[in-house]
Amino acid sequence: MPPKQKGLRFKPKRTGKMKIKALIFTFFISGLLSSQVSFDAKVSKRQLGVNERLRVDFTMNKDGDDFEPPGFENFSVVGGPSQSINNSWVNGVRSFSKTYSYFLAPKKRGQFTIEQATIKIDGEVYKTLPVKISVSAAIDKPKDPNDPNYIASKKIHLVAEVSNANPYLNEAITVVYKLYVAQGVGVRNSREIDKPRYSDFWSQNIDVEGLGAQQGTYKGEDYLYVVLKKTVLYPQKTGELNIEPLSLDVTVEVPSNRRDVFGRSFMSTVNRRVSAGNRTINVKTLPEKGKPESFSGAVGYFDFKLTTNKKELKASEAFEVKLEVSGKGNLKLFRLPRLVLPSALEVYDPEHSEKVTTRISGMRGRVTDSYTVVPNDPGNYPIPSVSFSYFDLKTKRYKTLDSRRLIIAVGSGSEGKLENRKTSVGGENVITANRKQFRPFKTTADFTTINSKPFFRSILFWITLLGPFLLIPVFMFITKNKNTRALDVAGNKVRRTNRLARKYLSEAKKSIGKKEQFYNALERALHNYLKSKLHIETSEFNKEKINELLTKRSVGVASLDGFVSVLTACEIARYTPLSSVDMQNDYEKATHAINMLDKQLK
Amino acid sequence: MKYFLIFWAVSFIGFSQENESFNNANQLYNSGNYQKAASKYMSIIAANQHSSALYYNLANCHYKLNEIALSIFYYEKALLLNPDDKDIAINLDFAQKMTIDSIQEVPENGLSRLFAKTLNSLSVDGWAVRCVGLASLFVLLFLCYFFSYSESKKRIFFISSNVILLLLTSTLFLLFKKDSLENSMRPAIIFATEVEARLEPNLRAETSFSLHEGTKVLVVENYGADWSKIKLQNGETGWIANSELKEL
Repeated sequence: MPPKQKGLRFKPKRTGKMKIKALIFTFFISGLLSSQVSFDAKVSKRQLGVNERLRVDFTMNKDGDDFEPPGFENFSVVGGPSQSINNSWVNGVRSFSKTYSYFLAPKKRGQFTIEQATIKIDGEVYKTLPVKISVSAAIDKPKDPNDPNYIASKKIHLVAEVSNANPYLNEAITVVYKLYVAQGVGVRNSREIDKPRYSDFWSQNIDVEGLGAQQGTYKGEDYLYVVLKKTVLYPQKTGELNIEPLSLDVTVEVPSNRRDVFGRSFMSTVNRRVSAGNRTINVKTLPEKGKPESFSGAVGYFDFKLTTNKKELKASEAFEVKLEVSGKGNLKLFRLPRLVLPSALEVYDPEHSEKVTTRISGMRGRVTDSYTVVPNDPGNYPIPSVSFSYFDLKTKRYKTLDSRRLIIAVGSGSEGKLENRKTSVGGENVITANRKQFRPFKTTADFTTINSKPFFRSILFWITLLGPFLLIPVFMFITKNKNTRALDVAGNKVRRTNRLARKYLSEAKKSIGKKEQFYNALERALHNYLKSKLHIETSEFNKEKINELLTKRSVGVASLDGFVSVLTACEIARYTPLSSVDMQNDYEKATHAINMLDKQLK
Repeated sequence: MKYFLIFWAVSFIGFSQENESFNNANQLYNSGNYQKAASKYMSIIAANQHSSALYYNLANCHYKLNEIALSIFYYEKALLLNPDDKDIAINLDFAQKMTIDSIQEVPENGLSRLFAKTLNSLSVDGWAVRCVGLASLFVLLFLCYFFSYSESKKRIFFISSNVILLLLTSTLFLLFKKDSLENSMRPAIIFATEVEARLEPNLRAETSFSLHEGTKVLVVENYGADWSKIKLQNGETGWIANSELKEL
């Protein structure tokens, strides 16, 4: 036995690990020192992995003999037994402890018991209580309870707090990273090793002002925490999204089991890597029901305006159309509705500007698209109504805002002005026909009936189109006849005389009953007939001459007589009263005579 | 004879009434009361009378009231009755500047453009009247040829009648071409603010392009009572619900 000394410290063979325990026992037992004998078995842990080690201390407060360790079946002794003795005098009271330490490694998994150890103190046999140990499956890394790294791992936690684990697409959520530090452990420094890439999110970090420690609890225990980082996230995809962990390299001060003379632990500094575990966010899709056509992904609460800086201007001047969305929500993450303008306007690409501030609650501000538009020609140009739709998070419904339809009146352009100026310089006002001017109303109109039948395909159309063509064959036929007659000269003559005779005869016929006229006409008819037939002149016209000529032409006596008798009858009639019956007879006679003559005179 | 006189008198009275309404409407138009003027013009149309000038003035009203589709519709109607009027063409151009769509015409070669221009210079009835006139002229010249005796005159009439015959046949061709075109392609104006032309005549079908108010399209085919197949100036086709457009 070593001499009993105040404050004597044994340096056990396995110094580092035994230090703490030895110290504890020193103080403990020195306080408890009494006449009562105690003999206890203490284990460093009751639960351990099969790949971990276990330390068993058998401690007594009076020196004894014949120490017998238990059998340690199921365990293999990897170290020990080692003895340590603590002897101290405090205020005249002596405290003593003697410890036998074993380091054990379990052989297999299961529930085991460390059996009793015995010792004989002052002639009496003392036994420890059996200790139950459960050995579980292998643990990743056998933890050494005295390892500062291990302590740091137990005392420092990095936590990612997510405001809403089940947001809508494009609804803002915040992730706050807090470093929890247990009492008694200090953090000197922290450095981000691995910044999380929020691949499926739009993210913005919010600056954290100062790292003030605050009181908080972590898993029911009091901790101090520091907010390291705040991030606003807008999920850009639906479904289960992973927030990558943030890893920090933290310099931690951990109390070691070395103590200074006042019993305070030395702090050992350890670099510890902590990371907030993966968080999964389940992003909901926006409802399909009632989704407006103009919806372009805006989620939040917005106001929409369409403004122009001019309502009236001259052609080839420019004006500006501004589309503005203001409010709260994913302002940077949707497209503003496109302005659709009449194609006759020259429109330049819009100038996009954002005045958005991002706070922990999300984005807030306004985004504008301003279009520069140049009308080249005068006229009225409508700016059609533009619709902007967003998903209102408060009511969980879509809302559509429509701008009013505006009309921009564009007057005749500056070109006209220039022309005017030119003319005024010239001193004379030249009025040029300006084609680019809206024409006035018409003062007169020729009205027709609506739905009047179309001319095309009407009967009149076909008649007027084809009728003239029918004229061609008709005319052709007529001329053909005419020509054949023209060729036959004698026949023509006969026809002519016949026509003449008939004409006079018809004249005579008309005046049957009127003696003078009748016979005059009859005589004239006969004369004319002969005139044309025999080519004689009226002066030659007497019966002898007629006889002679007709005989020359070998006219039959009967016909000759008939003719002459008619002529005679005409002469006689002048002087004798005659009835209309006689006239009728004479007329028929004349006709007969002419016919007879005609046949013979060829 | 008596009936004819009565008809003549009635038509004359009707004529003067329309002119009165027309003048009244013009006064309203001139004083800036476009809404009332438009309804006055419409009353003349309701009385089954129309004219190019009436449609033109009515279209002007709608233009002043910023009603794009209506103004283009009536300008086009005015142009149908009087295709050569410059005023109508200019104001139609103004109205068309308000439309959103600009449809690039497929560039045609010079010959077919000339053909189209000639074809559109007259209405069907215009071509029909010309055909009749040419037919009569041809017959006249032919008969002159037939009846003239001197060699030189005969030659002149023969050549000129042949030229007229050639003209007549080509005019007839144009007439029938124009008629078949008008029957197969009826121009219409889009009245809906925005309308999607679909690949098939139903609402489920994919949209091929969208059109806006005031665009002129050609209706080439109908399906049922609700759908029309339209053709654009650039040759694209699609189906549009009948309620979205109005045929001229």
